[in-house]
Parts: sequence; C-alpha cells; structure tokens
Amino acid sequence: MKLTESLSFRNVKGRPARSAVLLILTVIMTAAVVCGIMTVSSLRAGLGALEARLGADIMVVPASAVSKKNFENIVLQGSMGYFYMDSSYYDKVAEREGIEKVSPQLFLASASAGCCSVPLQIIGYDPETDFTVSPWIKKSAGGTLGDYDVVVGNDLSVFVGGTITFYGVECKVAAKLDKTGTDLDTAVYTNMNTIKKLIASSIEMGMNDFRDIDPDHSVSCILIKVADGYPVDEVLNDLNLHVRRTKSFRTKDMISGVSDSLSGVSVMIGVLMCAVIILGIVILFLAFTMSVNERKKEFAVLRITGASRKKLSGIVMSEALIIALSGGVIGTAVALLIMLPFNGIIEESIGLPFLMPDALMIAVMCAAALAVSAACGAAAAAYSARRISRIDTGVILRGDN
Amino acid sequence: MKKLRSRAGGAVLLIMSIILTCGVKLIFPACPAHDDGTYMSCHWAEQAVFGIGIALCVISLIIIIGGEKTAAGASLAAIPLACITALMPEFLISLCKMPTMHCHTAMRPAVIVISALIAAAAAVNSAVMLRKRDNRK
Repeated sequence: MKLTESLSFRNVKGRPARSAVLLILTVIMTAAVVCGIMTVSSLRAGLGALEARLGADIMVVPASAVSKKNFENIVLQGSMGYFYMDSSYYDKVAEREGIEKVSPQLFLASASAGCCSVPLQIIGYDPETDFTVSPWIKKSAGGTLGDYDVVVGNDLSVFVGGTITFYGVECKVAAKLDKTGTDLDTAVYTNMNTIKKLIASSIEMGMNDFRDIDPDHSVSCILIKVADGYPVDEVLNDLNLHVRRTKSFRTKDMISGVSDSLSGVSVMIGVLMCAVIILGIVILFLAFTMSVNERKKEFAVLRITGASRKKLSGIVMSEALIIALSGGVIGTAVALLIMLPFNGIIEESIGLPFLMPDALMIAVMCAAALAVSAACGAAAAAYSARRISRIDTGVILRGDN
Repeated sequence: MKKLRSRAGGAVLLIMSIILTCGVKLIFPACPAHDDGTYMSCHWAEQAVFGIGIALCVISLIIIIGGEKTAAGASLAAIPLACITALMPEFLISLCKMPTMHCHTAMRPAVIVISALIAAAAAVNSAVMLRKRDNRK
C-alpha cells in the first residue's frame, strides 16, 4: 500500500490545522538543531585553522599597541589596523637567549578609495626569516616572492597571475593561501621592499600620515619561535624584562581569549538547542495526547472493526513519524537556506573564526538532525500509542470515559 | 471566494517582490560609496535588482487584478525575470573583489534566496492556474 493511501497519511491530511501546527513546530526544531550544529562545528573548525596557522610561540608588539582597539584581532586574525616600533627592537629581540627563529612583520591598511582595489590588511614580511606565512604559500603556489608580488588570502576574488592595486601601485598575485575562516583570508602578504614602496606611495598620495615614524626603519610585530629546551614562559618573561617599550605575548594565551569566546558561544547555542528540542518534545507530546483523547471513539470503532492493538498504536506512531520526518526535511532545507548563503554575515556578526564544514560533513549533520527529529516525534507519540493500544472499546463507545 | 483564493498566489508574489525591491535598498544594500564618492560595481547590481524588483511588483499586481489568462501569463513571465534577478549580482554584474564585503555577505545571498522563492511561487501559481483552466475545458 502506498504511503498516501495509508490511514495515517489520510488522518494527517484530514486535520490540516493540527498537522500544520505540528509540522511548523518540527520545522523550527530541526532548523534550530541543524543551524546550531553547523555553527558550533564551523566555530571549532575556525579555531583549529587559526591555531594551525599561527606558527609563532611569542609575539612582540609596541607597548602602545596593546591599548589599541581591536588589538588582538589585528595581530591574530588579520583585521585592519596598524602600529609601528623601531626596527632596532628586532635586533634586540634576536639577541636574547632561547630564541630559535625570529621574523618581523609590517602592517599597512589599504584605503577604501579608488586608489585601492579593496580595503584590507597588507602584511609585509621577510621571506628569508619567515616561518609563519611561507609554509602556507608553498601549499598554494611555491616559488620565491619578488618585488610587487603579493600572496593573497583565500577569500579574495583574484586569481593567481592576476593583478591587484594598492595606493596606485599594481601588484601581481603570486599565490593564494589556504582558508582559515578569519580576516587572514582577506589579508595580503608581500615582502618588506614592496610594503615600504606601498607606504611611500600612500604618503605621496596624502592617504597616510606617518609623522615622526620612518617606515624604512619600522616593524609592527616580531614573531618568535622558542628554541627546544627553553620554556616559553621563561623566554617571554626575559623579553618583557629586557626589551623595554615593547610587550611580548604568548600566542596560545592570545588564542585562549578567542577560545573562551568560542566556548561561551558554543554553550549558549547548545543551551538554546536543548531548550528548543525539550520544548518541541513537550508540545508534540501534549498535542499527540490531546489528539488521541479526542479520537478515542475513532480508535474504538477501528478496534471493533478488527484492527489489532498493535495496528492502533502503529497508526499513532506512523502519524507522528510522517509529521516528524516531513518537518525534519523542510526544517533541514530551511536551515541550509539560512546557513549556506548567509554564512558570511553570520561570521561577521559572531566575530570569531568561522570555517564552514565540507559537503560530506554537512550531509552527516543533516542526517543527524533528521534522526533527532524522527526520534523526538517517536518519543512524543510513544505514550499516546501505548495508551491507545490499551483502550477499552466498550467503555469508550458507551461514552463512560 | 474562489477568485480570492486563485489570486492568493499573486499576493504572495507581491509581498516577496516588495521585500526584494525595498530590501535591496534598505535592508541588504550593496557596499557604500568610496570615501572619494565613487561607487564600486556592486552598486550597479543593486540598482539593477531594484529596477527588476519594481517590474516584479507590477507583474504581481497584474496577477492580482488581471483576468485569468492575463494572470496565468503574468505568472509565467515572473519566472524568468526572477531567475535573471538571482543571476544579477556577481554573474551578470560583478561584485566587489572581497567576499567578506557587504555585497557578498548580505546582498547576494538575500537576492538569490528571495528571487528563487519568487520563481518557485510564480511556477506554482502558473501551474495551478493553468491546471484549473485545463480542468474547465
């Protein structure tokens, strides 16, 4: 027998208002589960990518930079902003004990004007000493980075071999990096010569004013890899004590801020998801109980026409599953319609690393949400199904219930 | 009552067309102008969607107030128009280079989703109207 011809399907179709309300409820429940799982999973993937991308143990920045708004996002996630210190600090840092690798970076934000293709963070680095950017470039294209060559983040809509203009200077895109789910995906990396030329061009155009700062002898931050056998905390304390007017940070401690925010958001999403599921189950349970109470006579008639007790409970369970599964499918579609096209704006509003899972993972999540929806429907209807299988037809038909 | 029911599809289309037309200017617009007053290309995609949105509003009104044949024809006309609207940002008129910009994160997905819903609603409405006409024959 076809599903559409079954008694359960006809019962669902025959009570459009009740079915529509239950359907909407399961749609909301499933959509909340899919959106919640996808958001939490994207946030975790984003944090993982950020951790993998930061190869440095310690970061040294000018002491004045710490008070800058959005400071952590500038150094960790490539958000737009800049600060400078004299390049002599690089030598001072490199002289300290326990340092295996040290590499400087210089920041510049491009302008939101016709002279620049896009407003973004430009990061100048030294390819000879670098140990944080180069491994990711090799993954993308490889080769050495010449003057006016740039390496772009994964989210920039420019192709390798194409050009991009900053402060009137045309740069060639030499490579593209892997995705991190942070603003680093929209940052541009270039060598120190090129960024200094871009700074000079921005000053010539009157777009930047460096006042007493000499861009040729400045760095924004110094990245450090601690040598084996030296505790990171000891090297950190040594740097904070002996390299004055700078502030050194352990990158893992900086990420812990992002990680704490992530766990806060994850807990909040988890609580909301549980609340929606519990509320959904309670409402479905009440709806099925009330519906079965109303239809006791209908089930009694079915019973005396030969339907077994198992058949009666089967009808109730099938109705619940029809509503739960169709609501689950629609809810999953609604969630995908929200999460897939609007993930950019979700990322922007959360302000944390956000890396969407791949298609296979999304399919698994949707299947899990469908299973949750079906399980909730079955759990809510189980009590009613058990009650209806034990009805006393005589009492009900006499109207003594 | 029957006439009212048959035109309900037109009302749904009108509401969605108004959301598209007003939304692209007020809720999910393209990126603002540069500091020097020049516009990025996404601005012209916004203008194009706004223009087509007005056309979709007019078509929806024709579905509501027009005769049965006119309404069925107008519903059919709304389908390709909605599809073109969905293709307007990025495919027909390129947006900003950075996918994190507002035209990519808000305008493009909103226009695609609403246009797809308009196309689906128009297809259902035209199918219902044409089937009714065939049944009467």
